[in-house]
Amino acid sequence: MTKYGIVADLRRCVGCQTCTAACRHANATPPGVQWRKVLDIETGEYPDVQRTFLPVGCMHCDDPPCMHVCPSTATRKRDDGIVVILYELCIGCAYCAVACPYQARFKIQERTLAYVEGATKNEDTRFDPAMLGVAQKCTFCVDRIDDGLAKGLKPGVDPEATPACVNSCIAGALHFGNVDDKDSNVSRYLAKTEWSRMHEELETGPNIYYVWDEKR
Amino acid sequence: MAPDGASAREVKRVPTYCYQCVAGPELLTVKVVDGVATEVEPNFKSADVHPANGKICVKAFGLVQKLYNPHRITTPMKRTNPKKGKDQDPGFVPISWDEALDLIAAKLNELAAKGKVNEQGMPRIAASFGGGGTPTQYMGTFPSFLGAWGPVDFSFGSGQGVKCTHSEHLYGEFWHRAFTVCPDTPYAKLIVSFGANVEASGGVCAVWRHAEARGRGARRIQIEPHLSVTGATSSKWIPIRPRTDPAFMFAMIHAILFEHPRDRLDIPFLKHRSSSPYLVGPNGFFLRDPASGKPLMWDSRLDRPVLFDAADVDPALEGTFRVAKAYELGADGQRWDHADVLGATSFTKMVEHLRQYTPEWAAKICDVPAESIRFVASEYLDAACVGQTIEIEGRTLPLRPVSVQLGKTVNNGWGGYDTCWSRTMLAVLIGGLETPGGTLGTTVRLNRPADNKQASAKPGPDGFMDYPMNPTDKENWIGMPQVRNANRTLIPLVANSPWSQALGPTHLAWLFQQETPPEWPQMQPPDLWFVYRTNPAISFWDTPTISAVMAKFPFTVCFAFTRDETNHMADILLPDCTDMEGLQLIRIGGTKYVEQFWHHQGVALRQPVVPPMEGARDFTWVSTELAKRTGLLASYNTYISRGAAGIPLRGPNYDYTLAPDVAYSHEDIWDRSCKAASMEISEGKEERDLAWFKENGFLVKSFSQLDWYLYPTMVERNMRFELPYQERLKRIGLELGNRLHEKNIHWWDAQLEEYAALPEWQDFPAKWENVVVKMGGTPEEYPFWLLTSRSMQFSWGNNVAIQMIREMARNMRGVGGVLMNATRAKEMGIAEGDLVEVRSPLRATKGRVALAQGIRPDTLLIIAQFDHWATPFAKDFESPSLNTVMPISLDLTDSTGSGADVTRVAIKKIGGAR
Amino acid sequence: MSVRFDNPDRAEPWAQRHWDLRAAGNFIGGGTGTGFLALAAIVVLAGSKTVLPFIVIGLGFVALGLFCVWLEIGRMFRAANVLFHPQTSWMTREALVAAPLFGVGLFAIWFDDRMALVATAAVGLAFLYCQARILQASKGIPAWRHPLVVPLIIATGLAEGAGLMGVIGWFVVDDRFYMQFLPPLFAVLLVARFLVWRTYIRRLGREGAPLGTLAVLRHYQPMIFGFGHLAPFVLFLMGYVISGRSALLSVMLGAAMALVGGWLIKVVLITQAAYNQGFQLPKIPVRGIGMPRPGAKPGWSEP
Repeated sequence: MTKYGIVADLRRCVGCQTCTAACRHANATPPGVQWRKVLDIETGEYPDVQRTFLPVGCMHCDDPPCMHVCPSTATRKRDDGIVVILYELCIGCAYCAVACPYQARFKIQERTLAYVEGATKNEDTRFDPAMLGVAQKCTFCVDRIDDGLAKGLKPGVDPEATPACVNSCIAGALHFGNVDDKDSNVSRYLAKTEWSRMHEELETGPNIYYVWDEKR
Repeated sequence: MAPDGASAREVKRVPTYCYQCVAGPELLTVKVVDGVATEVEPNFKSADVHPANGKICVKAFGLVQKLYNPHRITTPMKRTNPKKGKDQDPGFVPISWDEALDLIAAKLNELAAKGKVNEQGMPRIAASFGGGGTPTQYMGTFPSFLGAWGPVDFSFGSGQGVKCTHSEHLYGEFWHRAFTVCPDTPYAKLIVSFGANVEASGGVCAVWRHAEARGRGARRIQIEPHLSVTGATSSKWIPIRPRTDPAFMFAMIHAILFEHPRDRLDIPFLKHRSSSPYLVGPNGFFLRDPASGKPLMWDSRLDRPVLFDAADVDPALEGTFRVAKAYELGADGQRWDHADVLGATSFTKMVEHLRQYTPEWAAKICDVPAESIRFVASEYLDAACVGQTIEIEGRTLPLRPVSVQLGKTVNNGWGGYDTCWSRTMLAVLIGGLETPGGTLGTTVRLNRPADNKQASAKPGPDGFMDYPMNPTDKENWIGMPQVRNANRTLIPLVANSPWSQALGPTHLAWLFQQETPPEWPQMQPPDLWFVYRTNPAISFWDTPTISAVMAKFPFTVCFAFTRDETNHMADILLPDCTDMEGLQLIRIGGTKYVEQFWHHQGVALRQPVVPPMEGARDFTWVSTELAKRTGLLASYNTYISRGAAGIPLRGPNYDYTLAPDVAYSHEDIWDRSCKAASMEISEGKEERDLAWFKENGFLVKSFSQLDWYLYPTMVERNMRFELPYQERLKRIGLELGNRLHEKNIHWWDAQLEEYAALPEWQDFPAKWENVVVKMGGTPEEYPFWLLTSRSMQFSWGNNVAIQMIREMARNMRGVGGVLMNATRAKEMGIAEGDLVEVRSPLRATKGRVALAQGIRPDTLLIIAQFDHWATPFAKDFESPSLNTVMPISLDLTDSTGSGADVTRVAIKKIGGAR
Repeated sequence: MSVRFDNPDRAEPWAQRHWDLRAAGNFIGGGTGTGFLALAAIVVLAGSKTVLPFIVIGLGFVALGLFCVWLEIGRMFRAANVLFHPQTSWMTREALVAAPLFGVGLFAIWFDDRMALVATAAVGLAFLYCQARILQASKGIPAWRHPLVVPLIIATGLAEGAGLMGVIGWFVVDDRFYMQFLPPLFAVLLVARFLVWRTYIRRLGREGAPLGTLAVLRHYQPMIFGFGHLAPFVLFLMGYVISGRSALLSVMLGAAMALVGGWLIKVVLITQAAYNQGFQLPKIPVRGIGMPRPGAKPGWSEP
């Protein structure tokens, strides 16, 4: 079986937002729409203070609440675990957006541009009206994965078959792969580390694995 | 899903590089869809040769918006309003490239006719390029044009001296050829970092390597007033009072020297690779052998004085010894002949000097518990692994996986000497200077040859490395400044390399434009000023005053991407091809700034990923045109052929030299560079032309890791690091003082005091408080320290007009606002998002408050540099800037000419949150 | 143009902006309309022969609500796709129930059939239940996913329906005699709604919820209690003890307040108190050396 997931090693992340930028490029999302981003979280009180950087986005849950609530069946879960949206089916009710406990979904009703002066050439080239008025979110760069697989490449190992955020990570904090394959890069990573997932109590089965220590 | 996946579209990936910051270059590819650049990606093919696995940083992703920016200047422009000033509309009108180049060439020809230096002996043309030499990676053959022209004044700079790691540049290069200093992160076990924010400023190599280090259990202790991203990812944060770092470091050394056994130190290193055993006489200079003039040591085996370079001796590290006959050599040839004189070893001098600086003493100054200081000292010793070795490329070297790093504001300005000395001394004590795991220099800029650290370390006097000090002796001292910041006159350490002017105390150039010291004639502005990739009207200090000064420059030519605060004063604007439109071949790899030390070296091509915007011109084309129109073509071509554009065009078995009187196309010039570079790299075996590089992007060969370290060369050439005792600096300082006083110059006296053989704690915070008083305030009225900090998204990038970058930066806390301690803010009735005024005695800046616990209650932080009023997009930020409120003052300038990004301020709520 | 200053430290929950007043309108229309139909069924079962006005008013509210939500969706012309997912989506189910609701309602009007009105009201209750489950299935909004949201939506729907009946029922019913039991029923429904509402807020606070949600709910609590419950309750009591024209006026005023109070609950619940889940930091990671520290869930009340 295949179930793709991301390992985010919080020990390594520095909050540089390179993944955020790479995602914006790879997916041509409009300004402010960050399918992937890194939160800057402070805890503690002076002088005992910690700051942690937390990459977030769609968790491609095992049991995705967004999919269950979706009235149009636009949100679907593929056999490889990736939760995708069929934009042509989506009615843009945003029910999925309020069902998602990870704030991973966006809906843009009107075209937004980087500069008020007008669309830049790249914005025009990449503008897709099908993305307006529908839900959108991280796809694990599903096109890259499918194209890569078609070329015989291995997602998570070959950059051409790996999500842009993972490819871009300058701290080596993000890893992608098949968590169902115990020999995969991510499974081996998880086997030697302490990790947990966000909002486990909601029983969504999220597939971003946050690593915070070596196995002791 | 990427909407450009439609199959009908033509898609290609074009390799190029990004060198927007000093921590570059990064190799990338740009996805081009139907002739439009759309996506930036790492060049995955570089993963095997690049130290950070071929990654690229967030700034590179702004380049597409830079390329297609609606605010770009699309045609050359000419100023029509002769009045200049912030309040004046420049009245720019479009002109043709021909007209623009003719105007500039006419001006240049007029200046050449008048003489290239003015009546005061200063270059008539000046040039300012952005930080860290990054513009060179974008301006093609322009340096060759400037070379062909002759004298150019680089002394206005763009913030150098106040925005770089200035003291480190000078002392680092002096002590270990380390213009930039970094830990040998791949081997580090412990890094003690005083405010070094490498996670923001060290580029991908630093981020990658430090993450790897954390991954294998290496620790970093971050000592700084606010919890930066680097502090965040460190194992411990110690919030220290601003400007007190030297006290902490002195106390660390004190603890190491007085509270731990001596054998925790690297005794052989101290004895043989440092000046520790050199005997110091009663006047504070080395005791020298009367016959040879060489410094003396005490041989403990034979119990007698020996020359420093005597073979097979065991020099005494500590103690005071009686020498029968010796002399001391002071300033200006002053000589004391001694008989039966007592000499203490340099090491002992240091130990005695540091006796006073106990952790308890420092605790009060630094507002840090003494136990924390002891803890760091003890951790440092534990991690030093004294006695251990490592084999690198078949050679056994000491392994000392511990180092101390200094941030920009820590090593600049008053206290810079002290912190640089302490950090380097801490490395020397455990034998970790230029050894694996330890403290390394990665760039040479003041010594020659600049491209080879090992070759630049030539034996000099007294067993140390030679150093090209500016003269301080009576005959050769340059009493009349040759450029507008008087760098060679005032700063012996700044040397005289092509970098020295721009490195010198650049703020003095601006200061002297306002008022030149009476001993010199009032300095005239440059007749022509070239500006590229810099915006000193924002990036310097006291920016309104700097703007007023540049408004007086009669003829300013700005290469301009968008309008900005500096080119608001320009006479001509030239739209050059931006990052993704220009053509250039640069050297990559080897060792470069910050953490750029590679296992490879070679060259990489920057190329137009799409056809340049109509109206923009390649920098090399512009340079050639200017050379042609000013009759400098032959000389310009010669400069290029000799390698001023990066690659010498002639080698042992190849010759692509340019003919003197042909105006070559920029494609032709870089084609020749590509061929020459590939022949150089392959040692004449393979010629690769421009077309090959356009396809493949880069070409490298291996680079020996041994060349990361200077230690093997020091051993080979039997040289010692010039520490702990600064006899040479002491002498030079005295001589400089004599020269200045002979000219009746006394305004540099405070700076002269820094030329001490061993650094002494001065009440550094008080120096800032005194400036407040001098400006008519009291320290109580300005109770906060205002600091600044880099953000990875913006630093060096000249990218403030790029929406994507702004968006990314805003994901990080505090960027664009004033960061303040939440508890202190509550006491003062200030809430998150409130509009506040941050006021220094100079003036105020306004912004919105961001609250955090990770900042000292007595400190405010403004990240990056804003306060734009002309740059499109950025002028709407309503973001504050330290630069606006930071005075430029001789009182805040240290002996190397540097100043620190810190000032005393008050904060006041002037409006509620939106 | 201006550049927005926003606090990028968005780890803590923020008020969702996906569903606004238009979505609240659906819950208001649906609740009030179906609640009204339920009350109408009681009136009819008590002997009234009024059908057409009751159905028109009840279904009118439901239709208005659906129109509101149609305005909210991003792709209006794909609205029919809402029907594709009855297996799990309560939104599909709501839409599917709407069809028989209007069908039976039209049947009741066409044939002036009292029992068909009762059947319409029964389908209406199913519709109301679907609406309650829509909210409860919104896992991303702690204030909605709480199990007490279901009784809350049903209780307020009924109370709103009673309120509406109390405002206009007198004018359309064939004989006011059939409505004489209404004031005490109103009072009971009000008490029930208040108890569910209060328990809901208390349990949210006790079990842990976004601080923003609790702050909003507590902010509106006095108004919802005083305006939406206490005052109408007193007015109903007055209507019971006094007589004549002023008794009717008193009940009508109380009913109007109860109705608006219910709408207020929905507006607050949908547009103000709907803070999302926010993020959780599972653990503070080890940087190089040391032990991991407990994580954090910024912006949440302690359970």
